Amino acid sequence: MIKGIIIVNNHGKPRLVKFYQSVDSEQQQQSVIRKMFTQVTTRPDSFCNYLEGVVPEWGENVKLIYRHYATLFFIFAVDAQESDLGILDLIQVFVEALDKCFENVCELDLIFHSDRVHYVLDEIVMGGMVLETNISIILQSIKDQGKMAVDSLNKTDDAKTQNRKIRDQLGDSAFATTFSDGGGYNF
Amino acid sequence: MFEKTLQDIVKGIRASKRDTSLYISQCIAEIKAEINSSDMYIKANALQKLTFLHMMGYSMTWASFATIEVMSSPRFAQKRIGYLAASQGFTQGTDVILLTTNLLKKELRGAAVGSSMTGIYEAGLAINCTSNIVTEELAQDLLPELTNLMTHPQPYLRKKSILCLYKLFIKYPQGLRLTFAKLQQCLSDPNPAVVSCAVNVITELSDTNPRNYLHLAPAFFDLLTNSSNNWMLIKVVKLLGSLVTEEPRLARKLLEPLAGIVRSTPAKSLLFESAHAITRCLPYCRKSDGSMPPNVSDITALCAKTFQDFVEEKDQNLKYLGLVGFGSLVKSFPRVLSTSNYRPLILTCLSDEDVTIRSRALDLLPSMASRKNLVGLVVQLLQHINFASGTYKLELVAKVVEMCSGEKYALLQDFKWYLDILFQLGHMRGLDDHAELLRSQVCDVALRVLPVRSYAVKRSMETLLEGNNENYSSKDETENILDADNGRGKHIMPEILRALAWIVGEYSDLLPEAIEGPCHSVLQAITAPTNSTKLPTSTQSVYLQASLKIFAATCANSQVTDPELEACVHTISCNLGVYMESTDVEVRERAVTLNGVLVAL
Repeated sequence: MIKGIIIVNNHGKPRLVKFYQSVDSEQQQQSVIRKMFTQVTTRPDSFCNYLEGVVPEWGENVKLIYRHYATLFFIFAVDAQESDLGILDLIQVFVEALDKCFENVCELDLIFHSDRVHYVLDEIVMGGMVLETNISIILQSIKDQGKMAVDSLNKTDDAKTQNRKIRDQLGDSAFATTFSDGGGYNF
Repeated sequence: MFEKTLQDIVKGIRASKRDTSLYISQCIAEIKAEINSSDMYIKANALQKLTFLHMMGYSMTWASFATIEVMSSPRFAQKRIGYLAASQGFTQGTDVILLTTNLLKKELRGAAVGSSMTGIYEAGLAINCTSNIVTEELAQDLLPELTNLMTHPQPYLRKKSILCLYKLFIKYPQGLRLTFAKLQQCLSDPNPAVVSCAVNVITELSDTNPRNYLHLAPAFFDLLTNSSNNWMLIKVVKLLGSLVTEEPRLARKLLEPLAGIVRSTPAKSLLFESAHAITRCLPYCRKSDGSMPPNVSDITALCAKTFQDFVEEKDQNLKYLGLVGFGSLVKSFPRVLSTSNYRPLILTCLSDEDVTIRSRALDLLPSMASRKNLVGLVVQLLQHINFASGTYKLELVAKVVEMCSGEKYALLQDFKWYLDILFQLGHMRGLDDHAELLRSQVCDVALRVLPVRSYAVKRSMETLLEGNNENYSSKDETENILDADNGRGKHIMPEILRALAWIVGEYSDLLPEAIEGPCHSVLQAITAPTNSTKLPTSTQSVYLQASLKIFAATCANSQVTDPELEACVHTISCNLGVYMESTDVEVRERAVTLNGVLVAL
């Protein structure tokens, strides 16, 4: 099972926090995030992507599997039921999905649209277990739901300006447009 | 009024360099006002902002009721926001979870009835949220609807409901018994992703209770041989590996198919998992008559080669996994690593900069040792110890001692050499945490191994006498009391000195063979206050006792002359004065006793 997924930047600021096995309080959550960050940030990129025994709050055999892309660390905390190399591939799939949804995604996209990052992740991992690994199926669901969200707001006949403001944000950007097939990610 | 959007808050936080927390408190105050608004847009917007702030550590428990309101919005965009807030913010103790039951039931039923994509995705949202917030009551209530969705025409919902059911089973175990048959059917689902999810759930379940899932083994065998989906194969392999602890016959049957995968698959992930599963099977392969099946040695060799290839790779991840694999292999075949071609490989890993790799290599060390190679191995390790520092150094030393002393010194042939090693370690700096370990080892060897005793006494003597050198520099006075630097730059731990003194005292009948000088110098070395007062009182008390024993042996020794005896008595009585004033009770008692004995003579 995957105990938690976090994305932090090089200075330790969290960009996505998803705990599948909860800890007791907000303070503990922040302390776990800090712990994961401090351990991972000391390792240069030449080291292996595995760290053992960092987060005892989640149990004994919990391993951190992480990847470092430019300014961001993607960290998955898993137990012994998960395949080490498989999870590394999964992180890649997650990043690819983000790249396709945000068109050459960078940290700023994650900062300004953290909720959308959650929606993407929810199509890949649910309840701490892997839901889907096929990138086209993942992207299709995200695209469909994005369109549904836009449509649901278009139905309004409210003329208030704040509504239009929200609609504008959700409407015209990446989700409603077709996905370009650009290779690689440009973090 | 224009309410701030999520993007506005983010911009605001980035702009407010110095007073970020002030800005955020302002935002939270605004959110508190907005969230009570009757306008769903404003409410949803506020909740969206709050979810973002929750990631930074701000509590959102006060907004749980509003969360439910937003969850029930008919507009998908807002509903999403509500569900996300619930997944992030609700805990097991959130009381409003009870209010979600009807809403969730409605969503789940809505997907079953119609087939519009809206309904499907809304149910998907509901399932996702449930998997994160489910409590026992909620699990009981939603079980029927979720079970129904396991056979929905859309694979999207089948996948999600299967995974969500696992979370329900954790809270409501009874549910598993009721739905197990259906779960089993999912293993034959035409969609591979659905089957993967079912395998995933059964893997998690069998972690706690392998016995209950043994009867599914044939189905998994089927999947093993017929599937080509790597992700699913990995899961199946892992599952079968965990089932062998319950059913040893399964182990023998698994060897060939797994070996087949190892030989043929190009995917490194599957290769590793299969080889690892083989190592889990190997301990159980012995037949009831005690013999091994014929293919075991080939397969063991295959595993060892696979892991060796991994360790030799430049990719650090593969290296790490190779070491993990070896660690698992030596549990059933401890001798596999003791052949010489693995030694340089693993020792190189010991000096790797990466602490993860180093600790794995460290765990492999005890299995690498054999009677023949122990000496060479330990010598190489001592070099590593010299360069190491901190906890890693301590771990290395502990491993060396473990290898040498394991199973009552099974591997050790030359105890004199071992004593030398122990003395060498005793002189090293930075090993204070292991002082007790080394001390007990030295005493143990001297105690048990008779032929080596006199050698032990000899070495102990030499070391104690070294302490007698009077070349103290002024900086020694300020040194830590535990750092018994005897002035010649040779550091030795006080606990070791205790051992040495004890050995000399206990076996003092061997002294005349051991040293050439008069016994007097020994007594001087032990009792002189300049040497000993810096040592901890436990060492001092042993010194005193030892000096009595040595004195007794000297008296018993007919070769010792009278003037020498008198000199001994004189030395001891002079030096005792300091000890009799000592604050430690034990030291004082022994000193006084000793004094009494001498006076009586």
